[in-house]
Amino acid sequence: MKKYWFIINMQIMSNLQYIFNIIFGFIGYFIMLFILFNLWQYLYSDPSELINGYSLLQMTWYVVITEILWSTLSGSKFCKKICNDVKSGNITYNINKPYSYIGYSLSTHLGDISVRLLVYTILGMLTGLLFLGSFPSLSLVSVLIVILTSIMALVIQTLFMIAIGLLSFFIEDANPFYWVYSKVILVLGTIFPIEYFPGILQTILRFSPVYVVSYGPAKLFVDFSWDAAFSIILAQIIYFVIAYLLCFAIYRKGVKRINVNGG
Amino acid sequence: MTIIEVKNLSKKFRVKVKENGLKGSLKSIFKPKYKVVEAVKNISFEVEKGEIIAFIGPNGAGKSTTIKMMTSILYPDQGSVRVLGFDPVKDRKKLSYEIGTVFGQKEQLWTHLTPYDNFKFFGAIYDIPEAACEKRIDELAMLFELDDFINTPVRNLSLGQRIRCEIVASLIHEPKVLFLDEPTIGLDPVVKENIRVLIKRMNKEFKTTIFLTSHDVGDIEKLCKRVIIINDGQIVLDDSMENLKYHYLNKKIVEAKMKEKVNLDDEDGITILKDKGYNLKIEVDTTKRSVADAIKLLNPDNIIDINISNVPLEDIIRNIYQKKD
Repeated sequence: MKKYWFIINMQIMSNLQYIFNIIFGFIGYFIMLFILFNLWQYLYSDPSELINGYSLLQMTWYVVITEILWSTLSGSKFCKKICNDVKSGNITYNINKPYSYIGYSLSTHLGDISVRLLVYTILGMLTGLLFLGSFPSLSLVSVLIVILTSIMALVIQTLFMIAIGLLSFFIEDANPFYWVYSKVILVLGTIFPIEYFPGILQTILRFSPVYVVSYGPAKLFVDFSWDAAFSIILAQIIYFVIAYLLCFAIYRKGVKRINVNGG
Repeated sequence: MTIIEVKNLSKKFRVKVKENGLKGSLKSIFKPKYKVVEAVKNISFEVEKGEIIAFIGPNGAGKSTTIKMMTSILYPDQGSVRVLGFDPVKDRKKLSYEIGTVFGQKEQLWTHLTPYDNFKFFGAIYDIPEAACEKRIDELAMLFELDDFINTPVRNLSLGQRIRCEIVASLIHEPKVLFLDEPTIGLDPVVKENIRVLIKRMNKEFKTTIFLTSHDVGDIEKLCKRVIIINDGQIVLDDSMENLKYHYLNKKIVEAKMKEKVNLDDEDGITILKDKGYNLKIEVDTTKRSVADAIKLLNPDNIIDINISNVPLEDIIRNIYQKKD
């Protein structure tokens, strides 16, 4: 485990050189949040009104959290990197090192996003406060659980991206798969909470990755309950195992097909 | 003691082929066609402990494919490989602690970080305790003369400096065998020479077995006692450097640009390859005549520019085939 922790640290060190890029990148997040805040303000005629169980304060904070997770992830860049590693044969240079490629990729990406996560969380919270003036009511323990589930959400997302990227072993280009996956997460879990969708779709979404990678942490932030916390953490553990086994199976089958001509 | 044992090793690749034009592209979507390329064909050899062995051949000969099968990167189709008694396919992780690899065309260092941080990283992934790692870095930094740039980010280093760091990074865990795949590719002659000296020094100091691939005859001439030449996936020669030198590297190519025309004919030890009046290309057989002698024949005062080089590897291979026939 120590070596993976070292990889995360190396990536953080490497990334600190781009701290200003990260801060400037926040402008996009701010604009997105500004638009959504105005939209919800328009839709809520009265701040105390509830739409699908959410008040204006809860709805806006929900989006603050899901957008932090979404923007931090920088998924398409990472997925492209894995695809390119496979297609260019770069992956081979990781194979004969004493670490697992999946663990290595997961650690580099977690290192890569950790600085961004910290910056976006601080600036995102300030933006939320600026628009709304207050936080939803939370205890210290519930804040810790939100942080834990948010990190788990990012880990699971990263594993799914590795799995999609590794599909490049078998198909020419896995990027379109990521495109579909990311749009599902964006539309069905980032902009709107699950409760906004019709009954049958809600049930499906509760069993889908949307529940653990996006909805879960944000729901706990705006409307914390121990029941929800247990079910989200349990679902995250199950999804973590599924995503890891998926990566492992694809990698194991794919690595035997490696063709490296020349170089 | 045998360190590397390769027996009847073969590897085939399936490569997609496509007919020309739009029609060909459409056809390949529905009915993709593949052709089989035999990269390595039934090769066998052994490497002893402490040897510096050169594995040379032209581009596409199968050098890298062989090295990748010995370092757990590619799975062989047939035959067997044992490196330090390990099977690279089954004992990938165990073997990785015992071998080091440098691929001249691929960076393994993190470019935004300094060589020192990179070395610490490699120390961590090979589970080396911190104090031991620092001691090893100091030792290697001295041997490879890295002190001037060990704290400069890798992206700001010259290619020669970077290759030195790549080699050091692969030596942090004290590997018993070091695989160097074209370590001098793209380097200028001075830097190449410098790298060769360092590789030799390292072999002497740490008794590391070195398996070197290259298509530069200069690399092997300076470094190795034994040479394996591979061409078209097959071993065409496995011999001592001395024999290779005696039989095949005894010729030098001299290209000279002259002030005045020279009338020179083939004579003992000299063959005219090209004579365009002011530009002359001759082959000197050094067993019969020294290069200095040949230059004297041209008259040194008459020479504007001169270039002396080894016979290209492709010619040596052709020569070997001709002798076999």
